[in-house]
Amino acid sequence: MTIERETLEMDVLLVGAGPANLACGLHLTKLIAAYNERSKQSGTKPLDEVNIAVIEKAAEIGAHQLSGAVLDPISLRELIPDFENEGAPLEAPVGEEHVYFLSEQGKIPLPILPPPLRNHGNFVVSLNKLTRWLGEKCEAAGVNIFPEFPGTEMLYDNGAVIGVRTGDKGIDKTGNPKPNFEPGVDITAKVTVLGEGVRGSLAKQLINRLKLDAGSDPQVYSVGIKELWEMPDDRFAPGSVIHTMGWPLDSHTFGGSWVYGMRDRIIDIGLAVGLDYRDPSIDPHHEFQRFKTHPLIKDLLGGGKLIRYGAKAMPVGGWYTMPQLTSDGVMIIGDSAGLLNGERLKGIHTAIKAGMLAAETIVDALIKGDFTRNTLGVFDKKLKDSFVGSELYKARNFHQAFDRGRMFGLITEGVSVLTGGRLPSKLPIKAGHEHMRMLKADEHTDRYAGLKYDDKLTFDKLTDVYYSTTHHDEDQPAHLKVADFNICVDQCTREYGNPCQSFCPANVYEMVDAGEGKRRLQINFSNCVHCKTCDIMDPYQIIDWVPPEGGGGPNYRNM
Amino acid sequence: MNIVVCLKQVPKKDSILRIGSDGKWIDERDISYEMSEADAYALEEALRQKEKHGGEVIVVSLGPERARQSIKEALAKGADRAIHLFDSVFDTATDSAAVARAISAALKDEKYDLILTGLQSDDYGFAQVGLIVAEQLGLPSATIVMEVQPEDSAVRVKRELESGWFQWVRLPMPALLTIQSGINQLRYATLKGIMAAKKKEIREVKAADIGLTSDDLKPGQVIERAYLPEKTKRTEFIEGKPAEAAAKLVEKLRFDARVI
Repeated sequence: MTIERETLEMDVLLVGAGPANLACGLHLTKLIAAYNERSKQSGTKPLDEVNIAVIEKAAEIGAHQLSGAVLDPISLRELIPDFENEGAPLEAPVGEEHVYFLSEQGKIPLPILPPPLRNHGNFVVSLNKLTRWLGEKCEAAGVNIFPEFPGTEMLYDNGAVIGVRTGDKGIDKTGNPKPNFEPGVDITAKVTVLGEGVRGSLAKQLINRLKLDAGSDPQVYSVGIKELWEMPDDRFAPGSVIHTMGWPLDSHTFGGSWVYGMRDRIIDIGLAVGLDYRDPSIDPHHEFQRFKTHPLIKDLLGGGKLIRYGAKAMPVGGWYTMPQLTSDGVMIIGDSAGLLNGERLKGIHTAIKAGMLAAETIVDALIKGDFTRNTLGVFDKKLKDSFVGSELYKARNFHQAFDRGRMFGLITEGVSVLTGGRLPSKLPIKAGHEHMRMLKADEHTDRYAGLKYDDKLTFDKLTDVYYSTTHHDEDQPAHLKVADFNICVDQCTREYGNPCQSFCPANVYEMVDAGEGKRRLQINFSNCVHCKTCDIMDPYQIIDWVPPEGGGGPNYRNM
Repeated sequence: MNIVVCLKQVPKKDSILRIGSDGKWIDERDISYEMSEADAYALEEALRQKEKHGGEVIVVSLGPERARQSIKEALAKGADRAIHLFDSVFDTATDSAAVARAISAALKDEKYDLILTGLQSDDYGFAQVGLIVAEQLGLPSATIVMEVQPEDSAVRVKRELESGWFQWVRLPMPALLTIQSGINQLRYATLKGIMAAKKKEIREVKAADIGLTSDDLKPGQVIERAYLPEKTKRTEFIEGKPAEAAAKLVEKLRFDARVI
């Protein structure tokens, strides 16, 4: 079938409406206006009208944004100096802070807050709300914003990126067009910026094709599982912050929890689990449910009501895992570029700063009329010279230290914080899925046999998925592409016990009876919350996460 | 042929609803909104008729600022212009008659051949606004419309009755039709459509602009209490021989529990 596609010409195309790209779009409009004002005064040629577009796979701006989140306002202050009075949706300034090391029943408060976790001057925010607000700012500044349009393919000309093809709409589950079929559009642009978030599907294509990660260590990830709770009283003040380490995670599993106080008696609680754990039966959702049964948390949430659920992976490898961020016609920013600071558990401030630096580089390119890496490559350097670079450099060995288990990690981290990241040598790291160990023949037991769901404090996955309000049109091909189903039913069952059923926090993967004593993998793709964990953690790397029809996915509000 | 489509924005399907602090409606914070489903089909039908017969599609919506998002979606799909009844005075118009009075007043000076509404909204579900608008504008109307066939100065419509029965009715135009969900396949808004919609007119209309005061918009009925379905549990033992007990169980499942 040949499809006639329309072409839409833009100057700058931003793929993914997260904090990085929205900061980029907004800053671009300001820099262009300032440049044109200056050229008017000096009588030089102003820039022609610059058409900027943001495409986003979610139905609404912000609907796929999930984070803790405590915001370090350093870059938002630079982008919108008076953000408080301009109506930035902040929950509260960070107030009381605690860090605990948990055992099954007990807790040991850390006597001093580790410097990377000190949040004085920061704000508890909902990333979903912050992103919506940035989206409105962009739209008011003249940026075209197109929700429900995922980018599915990079467009190249002689090796240079010239834009992105958006996803087709109206394809049925057998892959055939429906009567309302709407082909994707080729959006061309002088510069395409990928700010698709963690494990971006286009970034993945681009990095592989152009080998942009040739000089980097493999990226490593964690997945955050999050719930919002509505409380009957003011027991946890807005801005209160708790972080925990230790139980329920075993000593070979990286991670920790957060509990943040939001407005309107809402508690934001979650657990981040490193996607480089050893035991294939680990289930991040179940670990989070266990975490809530700790006396500290059980008491805190007692009498409250679950109102939201969600999950999202995050890149935690940092400095050594960043790919080359630019090539001809293209830039990568935000979580897609691995700019999250794993030591501080923060990536919004680095994403915003990267967006702003990208905007500066793009304006230079527009002035010069040169969109090759010669001009865009300045961004790689600018970023490393900025606070983003120095922060990430300081934390360069953070996750790497935990690669060898929690004790080594904690000790090394202590040394690292004291010395500004200077360790005797660069610590090695390997891709998280390579840490997963094979099961022994007698080891196929249920790690969570003791976990009970009482529907008050603890919930099974399907109930939680309901609270993510995720939705996909059922009559479309599954957007989780498994390259070889034979591996699932035979090799994977034997070697790893089908860990996709455990690492997916949304019950997408299910081994079901196929008759005659056989089993098959069923993909409940409509449950997917777009966290990307499967693409990351599958031990055979045969799952490819591609965007579903535009508008599908979770509908996060206040997350 | 000029067609007016009445649109209502409602909480998105599958939203997690919480009851508001006054106990009379849902808490509207932190939920998403969308075009009411039946209205989306009414819009689609209007766009298809326009493609066949020419003319203009005008959307009209009463609602707060957020309703603009659904209006823009309609323009992106191909409607030509929009009227947004947007005024805090309209907040008092919470029943069908009051909403209909506002819409009728806004349409007084419009030229149209058809007015389409959804059969009923996904939130209140009264299925009344369309019919009251028809009454107030002195138009013939047909409900639960499955098919629309304009003929010169009249329109033939297929109405859905009970138990798989249908009825064909002919109405002189202008007429008002309330459209059943699922009668056509909804189109997607295209990128070009979204770009084009930015240049289309959305006329904001205040109550005073159409000669209405808050007295005209007083509702005749108010919601006393909104609450989530209350779960009740009842246990009953069915005695007797297995075959008789099974028959009784089936009867109860069918007529009391209504699950089979």
